[in-house]
Amino acid sequence: MKTFDVVIVGAGSVGVPLAYCLARKGIRTACVESEASWGRGQNRAAIGGVRATHSDPGKIRICNESIAIMSRFREEHGIDIEWRSGGYLFLAYDEAREKAFRELLVVQKAAGLGIDWIPADRVLELAPGLKREGLRGGTFSPGDGYASPLMTSTAFHKLALEAGAEFSFGETVTGFDMEGGRMTRMRTDRETWSAGLFVNAAGASAAELSSLVGMEIPVHPDCHEGGVSEPVERFMEPMLVDIIPDDESGNYYFYQANTGQVVFCITPKPQVWGTDMDNSSGFLPLVVRRMLEIYPRLRNLRVRRTWRGMYPMTPDGLPVIGYCREAENMLLLAGMCGQGFMIGPGLGSIMAEVIADGATGAAASASGEYGFIFDEFTPYRKFEGMEMLK
Amino acid sequence: MNRILHHPVLDVPGGRREVDFLFDGVPSRGYEGEILSSALFAAGYKRFSVHRKGEAPQGIFCANGQCSQCTVIVNGLARKSCVTPLAAGMDVRTLVGIPILPADNRPRGRMEKKSVETDILVIGGGPSGLSAAMELAGMGFSVVLADDKERLGGKLVLQTHKFFGSEEDCYAGTRGVDIARKLEADLRSIPNVMILANSPVVGIYKDRKAGVYVNASSYLLVGFKALVVAAGAREKSILFPGNDLPGVYGAGAFQTLVNRDLVKAADRVLVVGSGNVGLIGAYHALQAGISVAAIVEILPKINGYKVHADKIIRTGVPVRLNTTVVSVEGDGRVERATVARVDENWKPLLGTAETYEVDTVLIATGLSSCDEFYDQARAFGFPAVKAGDAEEIAEASSAMFGGRIAALSLAKLLGKAVTIDESWIAKREVLKSRPGDVSCRDEETAGERWRPVFFCTEEIPCNPCATVCPTGSITLRENKGTIMDLPYYHGSDCKGCMACVAACPGLAVSLIRRIDDAWTEVVLPFEFDPWFEQGAILPVLAQDGSFLEDASLQRKFFHKKYRTWLLTLKVSAANAPKAAGIRVQAEETTRPMPSPRFEHLPDDAVVCRCERVTVGELVEFIRANRVTDVNQLKTIRAGMGACGSKTCTPLYSQVFRKAGVDPKDVTGGSVRPLAVEVPMGDLVNEGGRP
Repeated sequence: MKTFDVVIVGAGSVGVPLAYCLARKGIRTACVESEASWGRGQNRAAIGGVRATHSDPGKIRICNESIAIMSRFREEHGIDIEWRSGGYLFLAYDEAREKAFRELLVVQKAAGLGIDWIPADRVLELAPGLKREGLRGGTFSPGDGYASPLMTSTAFHKLALEAGAEFSFGETVTGFDMEGGRMTRMRTDRETWSAGLFVNAAGASAAELSSLVGMEIPVHPDCHEGGVSEPVERFMEPMLVDIIPDDESGNYYFYQANTGQVVFCITPKPQVWGTDMDNSSGFLPLVVRRMLEIYPRLRNLRVRRTWRGMYPMTPDGLPVIGYCREAENMLLLAGMCGQGFMIGPGLGSIMAEVIADGATGAAASASGEYGFIFDEFTPYRKFEGMEMLK
Repeated sequence: MNRILHHPVLDVPGGRREVDFLFDGVPSRGYEGEILSSALFAAGYKRFSVHRKGEAPQGIFCANGQCSQCTVIVNGLARKSCVTPLAAGMDVRTLVGIPILPADNRPRGRMEKKSVETDILVIGGGPSGLSAAMELAGMGFSVVLADDKERLGGKLVLQTHKFFGSEEDCYAGTRGVDIARKLEADLRSIPNVMILANSPVVGIYKDRKAGVYVNASSYLLVGFKALVVAAGAREKSILFPGNDLPGVYGAGAFQTLVNRDLVKAADRVLVVGSGNVGLIGAYHALQAGISVAAIVEILPKINGYKVHADKIIRTGVPVRLNTTVVSVEGDGRVERATVARVDENWKPLLGTAETYEVDTVLIATGLSSCDEFYDQARAFGFPAVKAGDAEEIAEASSAMFGGRIAALSLAKLLGKAVTIDESWIAKREVLKSRPGDVSCRDEETAGERWRPVFFCTEEIPCNPCATVCPTGSITLRENKGTIMDLPYYHGSDCKGCMACVAACPGLAVSLIRRIDDAWTEVVLPFEFDPWFEQGAILPVLAQDGSFLEDASLQRKFFHKKYRTWLLTLKVSAANAPKAAGIRVQAEETTRPMPSPRFEHLPDDAVVCRCERVTVGELVEFIRANRVTDVNQLKTIRAGMGACGSKTCTPLYSQVFRKAGVDPKDVTGGSVRPLAVEVPMGDLVNEGGRP
């Protein structure tokens, strides 16, 4: 049997930064992952956008922390994660969008977000050649940016190793031993683990994992396809987001990575539920049609590859963060709704503080400056409504 | 102009229209419609791009549309020059770093969805794909055959040598390039086949559709019921410092330049690898008037057919066993290649290093199957078969059979009542067999009548000599009971017609006839342009390449059907039965520099060619991050390039081993079939594009 202070299940966007943040505090931490290495679940399919521009104050708070960590990453750790503060630009090509964005600005500014409305001319400076016709402007948050999910998770993994965290790959959790409302042991296909705290950071498999302790959480993956182009010299700065839905799709977004490659993704309509990761023939013609509509010069940009990934969705588009009533020493960090990469570093840093403080269960939500996160994202909420900027 | 203006086997087409184009602003000329990379080679340009990493000059590597190393800027857009046809007035530029996306801000034009439905999609129009398509169409299935090249036939179009195998089954004795023409013509005559040439398949999708990039201009979705994957193979790269210098090519690339496009791609080459591809590549070089310094082979024995090896050794090319390349160097292009013997652990013995002044190094160290679409189709649960090199690397002769067999298996999967003729399977097995036993032959003696002498001592699947003999005097002596068996002359009926000499793909038959006690007439096959006339004195060599004597040429005769010269020489009676060939290349050509000149920097070898990631960088990364999953190497961009990690993948086990990780413990990288970059405008068939 292996004994640790904290055992994290899932070495992905959430689990790996958390492992690092815990280990550097001297907390004996292990991370157990069923894939062959770190970041091989949803992290590898993430396109790399990192924004604090959300409609929800809790997410804004956590992602601001992520941005602070990622933007200083090279400076602090000497490791390049291809961070660039390119900003997020939500485009308004119609009155409805302009109105909604402007209303949202009030909430966003109140939550401390560096965001403002910019006119069409400024939009075109940031993304030269974008379709001018019908463009009313957009909300721009220059502090947001993008980084390489792969380089980021590899960097956190390396830092975690150096800080003393242990990783075990290719190992699948099979069950938990319970005693008096606490989990005493975690069993896997090859080992038994004992820990004071178990963390469920299992991404798309989080619901399955928590069902092992008899807890149902409403996390269901849906599938999105993404693509990447050849590299070209930089021609655009921000992540462009167009949330106008049409018959076949919802929002779509794309940006130019530090390598010069354009990375893009679209929300299909209807949503594709499940874990089927196979590519469909409709994706490229659909996403390209929409991208060329607003950015015609992309016509000469060559697509290099496409892939499909999962968004572990919750009904309201917000994550599930909190201790379980069913097993008080299980911490849920789940249901990231496709935003694990941008939430992970900040969440890891915050949760390490909370865990180091030692408050668990109901005490955690009542205590400290991060208590509101537990209140807001509790697994026992009603899951009503939908985050607007999902 | 580096053009091949005359070739002993290939017809040099006349009357092609010359057009002007610019390369980096300098006016050049080429043939309209020829492949741009070949036009550039012909004009003397071998550097196509400058990599953003280390400002390293890059040349062509695969010439096959797979590796992307030959990308240039064509009229402002980045394009692989090896699949781009030359047009008048083209403005071609070296790609420096990464390209600039043109500021073409015209509004999005009209779009069009293009699709077609078929029973069977055949991916690849080489020998196996063509054979499979023919068979399936014959059974009444509708067939779409998509091939990424302009001319069908796959690698057959590069093969100027005569085929092994048997005449009735697989056109043995016929040259690959002629077989390709015949197969294409046959297929084009069938009505229920749609041929998409110059149309790579870029992806297959779960909804049973394939995306095909037709003619570098439109995107066609092909809906299919079943799939034949006959996409061939790709060349393996190997690791040595300087392996990405312009002038280091895959042997197939070289054959493409020389045999398909008739470009004299080099002056003096070093061939790495003694499999059939390397041996034939060296032979093709000589036929194109290019000297071959040596063939090096790391193994203690020659890897290809013995007849191929004998043939090349007899021309004066040494095959150096237990030898590897330790460094290739030069200022922006290959100028020198250094080789050294290896110890029993394949470690180079630097004290034995020798440096050759060559401008080209051909990598012929093997092929890996392009079978990703098959694996993907199986994972999707589609009925699918693979054939040819996509199934197993083997000779084209077996691929033709394999294609037919695969077609029948697919028909069966689709519920057709077919039985696969057992003899077909047996024949395919024979055709793809590795060489069998090697036998010694008794030395022949010349008599009053002509008689054949066989230098064919190793069992390979081949029988044209026995087929063409008009008197039936040549038969295979039963050992295996297949066409693997060796031929022998029996009886005394030889009429001296020379058909066996001309037809033998291995050039391993001569004819001898006694003149008097001292002299014998010997007829030898010859596949080079004879630069000599009757009465010339020619150096005659034995089967092992050793010099026998200078002999005078009595007659020369060109056998049209087999496109082979037949030389009759007057050879001393003692040497005549041993006389196997004529030296083509002077001995000086194969000499290394007086002393070796190289730096030993094995960590500088490039593993990922697209992103120029070296052995040293990878080993350091693997150690620092405790990597045991190939996917993590993408963190330092290895495998992230345009080729979709096709070229680097076979090299990773060596790299992990070097980093102290047992390759058995390493998880492989995810397979990504899409390796053809398609412009977004073409993906939606946007109208009004330039």
